[in-house]
Amino acid sequence: MLHVSNLRKSYSEGSSERDVLTNLSFTINRGELVVLLGRSGSGKSTLLNMISGMDVPSSGSIAFQGTELTELSDTERTLFRRQHLGIIFQSFNLIPTLTVEENVLLPLELSETADIEQRKVAMDVLHEVGLGDRGSSFPDRLSGGEQQRVAIARALAHNPSLILADEPTGNLDLRTAETVMDILQRLVHDDRRTMLIATHDREIIRLADRVLELQAGRMEDVTPEMNGLGSNGERERTGD
Amino acid sequence: MALSILGVALGVAVVVGIDLANSSARTAFRLSTETVTGRATHAIVPGGGLLQDDTYRQLRTETGFRNAAPVLEGYTRAGAETGPVLQILGIDPLAEEPFRSYTGGPQGNLDLGAFMGPSLTGLISRSTADRLGIQSGASLALYREGKTSTIVILDVMDPEPGFSEASLTNLLIVDIATAQSLLNAPGQLSRIDLILNEDGRAAQLEKLDRVLPSGARIEPASTRSSTLDQMTQAFSLNLTAMSLLAMVVGMFLIYNTMTFSVVQRRSLIGRLRGIGVTAREISGLILAEAAVVGLIGSTIGMVSGIFLGHVLVDLVTRSINDLYFTVRIQELNLSWLGLGKGLLVGMGATVLAAFAPAREATRAIPSTVLRRSEDETRIETHGGLLRGIGFFLALLGALILWMSGSSIALSYVGILFIILAAALWIPSFANIGSRALRPLMGRFFGIVGRMAASGIHHSLSRSAVAIAALTVAVAATSGVGIMVDSFRTTVDTWLRYSLEADIYVSPPGMVFRRNDATIDTQVERQIRAMDGVAETYSVRTARVQIEGRMTDMVVTEPRNRELEPGRYKKRSSYDHREAMVSRDVIMVSEPYAFRYNTDVGDSLQVMTASGPRTFEVGAIYYDYASDLGVVQMARSRYETHFTDRYVSGLAIYAADGVDIDELIDNLKSATADGQGLLIRSNRSLRQASLDVFDQTFTVTAVLRLLTILVAFIGVLTALMALQLERARELSVLRANGMTPGQVQRMVTTQTGLMGLLSGLLSVPLGLLLAWLLIFVINQRSFGWTLQFDVDLMVLFQAVLLAVIAALLAGWIPGRSMSRMNATEALRFE
Repeated sequence: MLHVSNLRKSYSEGSSERDVLTNLSFTINRGELVVLLGRSGSGKSTLLNMISGMDVPSSGSIAFQGTELTELSDTERTLFRRQHLGIIFQSFNLIPTLTVEENVLLPLELSETADIEQRKVAMDVLHEVGLGDRGSSFPDRLSGGEQQRVAIARALAHNPSLILADEPTGNLDLRTAETVMDILQRLVHDDRRTMLIATHDREIIRLADRVLELQAGRMEDVTPEMNGLGSNGERERTGD
Repeated sequence: MALSILGVALGVAVVVGIDLANSSARTAFRLSTETVTGRATHAIVPGGGLLQDDTYRQLRTETGFRNAAPVLEGYTRAGAETGPVLQILGIDPLAEEPFRSYTGGPQGNLDLGAFMGPSLTGLISRSTADRLGIQSGASLALYREGKTSTIVILDVMDPEPGFSEASLTNLLIVDIATAQSLLNAPGQLSRIDLILNEDGRAAQLEKLDRVLPSGARIEPASTRSSTLDQMTQAFSLNLTAMSLLAMVVGMFLIYNTMTFSVVQRRSLIGRLRGIGVTAREISGLILAEAAVVGLIGSTIGMVSGIFLGHVLVDLVTRSINDLYFTVRIQELNLSWLGLGKGLLVGMGATVLAAFAPAREATRAIPSTVLRRSEDETRIETHGGLLRGIGFFLALLGALILWMSGSSIALSYVGILFIILAAALWIPSFANIGSRALRPLMGRFFGIVGRMAASGIHHSLSRSAVAIAALTVAVAATSGVGIMVDSFRTTVDTWLRYSLEADIYVSPPGMVFRRNDATIDTQVERQIRAMDGVAETYSVRTARVQIEGRMTDMVVTEPRNRELEPGRYKKRSSYDHREAMVSRDVIMVSEPYAFRYNTDVGDSLQVMTASGPRTFEVGAIYYDYASDLGVVQMARSRYETHFTDRYVSGLAIYAADGVDIDELIDNLKSATADGQGLLIRSNRSLRQASLDVFDQTFTVTAVLRLLTILVAFIGVLTALMALQLERARELSVLRANGMTPGQVQRMVTTQTGLMGLLSGLLSVPLGLLLAWLLIFVINQRSFGWTLQFDVDLMVLFQAVLLAVIAALLAGWIPGRSMSRMNATEALRFE
């Protein structure tokens, strides 16, 4: 489904260039839940930004369902993102000027082509995250956990092919994080949706089909050992 | 920061520009007055019209008084009808030495024989000669009242020690006889200058009094200089008020930009507070920064104000020349006082406007400085307080307006309070308006429309200030627009019933609204006798002394027709028109009655050729030609009491069936060889009058435009602050699939909506300002009764102007927001 090959991203620092990602190559298959581990500054967010089309690589290829993202313009990448991707952020990032319902419907509304059936599906997702009765509230009236559940509903509402999540439980307390995890398990893992989660949270690793780790800009598949580490059921954090 | 400086600079430029234009007009008039007054301490001036030169002879022979010099003054144009204006100063070179030294006295180099001889000769200054491109010995054509004369320039002069070159600008010095010929005033003088010693002045005055002709009086030389101030006081004050309005709008802008600079450094301030920098130190830092912005902005504003002054001085001069008197301003008078005022206003306004953001930043505890939502919470919860202060200010403004009596300056202070009150109510209105419009915007523009509407009340601390600035600027523009339109409609209606004749004939004059030029008697007779002319009525404009004041008087021949009550503000119980012909009854114009507190039935002392006579005021009539006040007298009474038999204009009624244009052509060809006359149809004279009216308000239009420009920058800075604050939100939207085009559309829709709200809010405020300008400021400045004429188009244009200004201001931030790198903003996670 997603093929990343020889991906490189560097930033200029004065006259020299600093590589953040070096020759990354990996594949994510349909229905897989892949966890991306890495210390702060290892390039996890940069990689998600490039897969989402919000940023472009210095070289290499990102092919998603046969479409080469690096060959698209900014607007084309946006339209592609709107149609095929759902994104969950650490800070929830709901739009304060929109109600909960409007936030969930945002990607559909932006496409201006959403039909009644699609809207119904979106609202069903809101019900599934347990906030069906809060549709007319504004985000500032919700707790952190509720906001993240709305963010999950927004990411799933338009039934995207791939969901990208950047530390989805990073801003939540233990109990709330567990609730959010339950939802992710139910709506993503059990429904066999494709998802890439960048996280420090080892609890999430339990859900993973595969675990990738970014170290010094290079990717390594650490699935067997990480699954073993996470199997004791304790929530612990990696990195700093 | 550049925008703050630009905002301050624009505000200061307008204030400085207007101040320089006003003071230049005053200085030019004072200089020309001082130059022609010389070392005279007093002058004998006529009660009305001119003095006979016998008075001068009597003065010298009967009293033996030697320190006296005759003067005849007037204006002419060099070259042709549109040539530069020259001031003619007719003098007697033999009596001049103690007064002015232009001719050098009997011992000077000037060829007195030629100067005083029968041919027309004169002296001009070196700079004037250079400007006209002539040299000593050259001939110079002069055009006055439709006639051309040629004068030989005997010599070019340099200024007297202690006087600047400007004092001689456009001055043409001629012998008294030459002046009498050029000004068509044989045997007449404007005044006799006197030098009275301080010792025994009372005895000298008593001696001189004995030879004074009837009506003439002795007045100190200083009296003349104050004339301009008295005449143009209201005119200048209104211009100054308009310029200060630009500064008030500029204060919104400065507030906005200083807030912007606090927003930019919100996290830095938070960190500084976190590491122990005190609130006072932060406040000092922001105020010091404001002072630097104010200083740089004011300096640029002062320089720009000088350039703007050059443009405005022409407009102001033109208005003064059309309305009051002839003044020729050659150069902008750069006064340190004027520039200093600009600096003070600029610096003061900047620091005052920065006070609130400085206080806001320092009052917050370190953690909340990092969160802007605090501002929104505060503005929401303080909405009631703002409305309360607004209500108090509105009451205070109304009280000042009510208590300020006839003071125009205080009236403007009252209006300023009302504007500020409205500005404080605007956040609440913007809040309600944007919430109310949200569903509608959603229906038409979908999610983008809903977000655009919500964006306004979610960022009320920014958007409300921008909306307030734009509302005030647009309301001021539409308020002044309605006032000018109302004024114009009133003048047009008045002209329609005042100008009844088919054709009007007059010689070209120097001041449009006070044409005292005369038509040659022979030409007058010729016109009256022409075929196709059924009836003619003469008009004479003269200056007479009424109640000790020189006043414009219009002498008319009342026409036998129905009385139109609409022409009169107040009438006596008897038929005043009949009384004006048979006995000493006059009418006064509405501004005269206002200025001098005169009512129907009052008695006014008019200085006639045979001495003072008492006239009764028979009516107060509407008149919009002069704000100085005019008195109307019947021709028959004028001829009884004055020796002047000239006419300044003729109103002609064509015989039945005569084609007006054909008659005008006939009149023009019949008078072509003589005096050049303006022969105009009713319609074209009305149009010419309205053209002068429109020209008078050009300067107002320029000021309105500049005010809008200041507000436009205010909106731009507010939007840029919003852009900075909404970076993360926009990134999220971009991440969720909002295209750059949709971002641009959302920002444009939001700014358009802000413009629409400003436009709609400006309508009631604009109407209120127009009402105050018409019924308070105009009444207290000029005393005119004006119709309150609201053209819906003006209000529609105001709304449209606000929307367009906002859309234009939103374009750059919108473009930059749509191009923003979404990952940069999300990196702050």
